Amino acid sequence: MEVIRTTQTQLARKKRSILGSKKMLVYVMFTIPALLLYIGFFFYPTLMGFNYSLTNWDGMARTYKYIGLDNYLAIFKDTRFLHSLGFTFKYTLIVVILKITLALGLAMLLTTNLRFRGLFRSIYFFPAVLSLITIGLIFNEIFLTILPAIGEALGIEALSRNILGNKDTALYGIIIANVWHGVAVPMVIFMAGLASVPKDLHEAATIDGASRSQRFVSITLPFLIPMLNVNLVLIIKGGLTVFDSIVAMTDGGPGTSTESIGFLIYRHGLLENKFGYATAESIFIFALIALISFVQMKWLSKKEVGQQ
Amino acid sequence: MKENTLVRAIQYTALLVGVFIVMIPVYLTINLSFKTQVESAQSFFAPPSGLYFGNFASVIKGKFWINLGNSLMITLVSMLFIMVLIPMVSFAISRNMKHGYFKFVFYFILAGIFVPFQVIMLPVLKHMSNLHLLNQLGLILMYIALSFTQGIFLSVGFLKNVPIELDEASTIDGCGIWQTFVRIIYPLMLPIIVTIVTLNSLWIWNDFQLPLILLNRSPNYWTLPLFIYNFKSDYGANYNVAFAGFLLTMLPIILLYSVMQRHLISGLTEGALK
Repeated sequence: MEVIRTTQTQLARKKRSILGSKKMLVYVMFTIPALLLYIGFFFYPTLMGFNYSLTNWDGMARTYKYIGLDNYLAIFKDTRFLHSLGFTFKYTLIVVILKITLALGLAMLLTTNLRFRGLFRSIYFFPAVLSLITIGLIFNEIFLTILPAIGEALGIEALSRNILGNKDTALYGIIIANVWHGVAVPMVIFMAGLASVPKDLHEAATIDGASRSQRFVSITLPFLIPMLNVNLVLIIKGGLTVFDSIVAMTDGGPGTSTESIGFLIYRHGLLENKFGYATAESIFIFALIALISFVQMKWLSKKEVGQQ
Repeated sequence: MKENTLVRAIQYTALLVGVFIVMIPVYLTINLSFKTQVESAQSFFAPPSGLYFGNFASVIKGKFWINLGNSLMITLVSMLFIMVLIPMVSFAISRNMKHGYFKFVFYFILAGIFVPFQVIMLPVLKHMSNLHLLNQLGLILMYIALSFTQGIFLSVGFLKNVPIELDEASTIDGCGIWQTFVRIIYPLMLPIIVTIVTLNSLWIWNDFQLPLILLNRSPNYWTLPLFIYNFKSDYGANYNVAFAGFLLTMLPIILLYSVMQRHLISGLTEGALK
């Protein structure tokens, strides 16, 4: 009896484990297509990027040599790269300030009790669904043709010159187009934050005699901090990799004055036969973005702890 | 009370100024595409005296329709695969998080958020050229692969709130894993799938960098962003034709936005918030 019972349970256990592994196999099959595509078209190119950054490849020759970290040492002595780094940082800083202020201001306006709130919201969000390349080209035409004509007609000298044609002002032309396009998404994110502020807190504070600005600083602002973090990360990442609007508006010019890092990598790698060199530049942006993403992840995990 | 009316007035004024700034480029684009050069030279802002369609005719005599078709095809086919593959792999991961293999797959794919597009931009060109994939198929494969990091992050997060008891109940009812996924889990995932679809279809439709790298060989391969970028050399100084081109390229998105703006707004923001 004993013996039979043990063999029966053993058999049952064996059967279960076979069933279990079969089930596991199905689950593994679920991941295979995605995993293969991810490895083949994302992970492998990323590894190759690191690999090329250690070579002197021009992008076309059949052979290339490994030159260690020479590319990395060279980019930090390259004034063109350093200039594009400075340009990208300056661009990012201004865009962050403008987008955050405008988005927050608009979000606060649009969450008050307004008439036509839905309509306002639809209009303000509209630029976000358009492609930056088309927006860049439209603003390019406006700066090139329309504003100078208006400036001349009104006798305003500042308007009558194309701001994209001047080394010192081209940056601001690019910023205008990007801000026009990029306020909408942070605005709606802020609106989500504002909707999470409990109404009774505001009412209680009003009864206690808190002024409008006092209520904003001590009640609204703390609820907005998470949204502010999300927006900062999004806008900084977008700023450091700006590309489309520069191609559409200035093509890096006049001269090389509006070359962002993303744009310089493209030029060096594909048009100026410095393929290995350009991948080293791209690994540098990778380090910057990775740092920012890391901070973001840290913050995200903190938020989850806070919620529990 | 008086102060309140003043505040109101300032609020509305600020909002209307903003609306004006948002609408001016749109108005100019529409207005100038219906005018002849002679007419628009008199005033950029006055509405056209009649509807002149000559500018549009110059736009569509190029490869506009072919490129529009390419954009539609590339977006639709990529979305079809994204809608199937992301929920599948996310389901497998979320049900087996304790298992080393699935944990590895999850974090391996999630690590993609550290890598900006610029890093793969140049290697991808060489890679695809070696594979003879410098065409629409190659572009679609890239879009699918690049959609995984965010999509799987969103879906696995969503599936945490879909109780595993549902899977167990359906197993008892005699469903296999595949049937459980198709009949029970996939329908429950629809809200997050809608978010993923809006986010990715807008990105794929508007993307300029990848087509620029992969499709710049023949105008027959181009998508709409590449069409409008290269159109610059066709119109020269005739900005009326240029604006007609801008309007036609934006038209599909304008139509879509007017029909389902709510989805587009929530899709774009939810993706960022989670």
